[in-house]
Amino acid sequence: MLLAYRCALASPRVTATAIEASEFPQLAKEMEVWAVPRIVVNGVPQSDGAVPERAFLARLLASTSG
Amino acid sequence: MGACSDATLAAMPVLRPDDEATARELLASLERPVELLVALGPEATPIPGGSDIDFAAETARIAEGVAELSEHVSCRVEQEPAGFPRFPAISIRPEGRDAGVRYDGLPWGYELGALIGGVLEAGQRESTLRPDSLAALDALDRDLAVDVFVTPT
Repeated sequence: MLLAYRCALASPRVTATAIEASEFPQLAKEMEVWAVPRIVVNGVPQSDGAVPERAFLARLLASTSG
Repeated sequence: MGACSDATLAAMPVLRPDDEATARELLASLERPVELLVALGPEATPIPGGSDIDFAAETARIAEGVAELSEHVSCRVEQEPAGFPRFPAISIRPEGRDAGVRYDGLPWGYELGALIGGVLEAGQRESTLRPDSLAALDALDRDLAVDVFVTPT
């Protein structure tokens, strides 16, 4: 979560929201949350699990090219 | 976590004494003020076993509890402020500015660490990201809304 927060604080183009999955079950279902942390970028599920900074950034940037 | 009444929760400290001392020490390192804006409003269907919990009141209590740990952290509560799709939510604001850093829901259990971690990050003037990460973010040509689904355990 902190990596996402760091990215948002570093860039005006990025927002980062932690969403408590059990409290918003409908949204969690729509985003196919079966494991956490579940990363969703611009409404599109990307990946599960904590990853190092380089891999996290790589996934974010890859999502911009889709 | 089992069902727990409002009265029981209200009497519980936000952090255990050892954790509170650690949090105070960490928050003492803040280089700039951080505001916690607690946004309250209509909530999603309560989770199973959570019907006895006032999520709004508990979220406000936790945010206020974190603010009490440092003179650099403040807290205010608003009803249905614009731009919040879900309630309750906490906007973590460096120097009162909306930097797009939020926690949606009640940050209980393990996730209290995410809230305090967000405050610590927002309280730093310089990013702790690697230079190549900062360069990549500077080169972004479109907006990214990153949602990270978490659970309290």
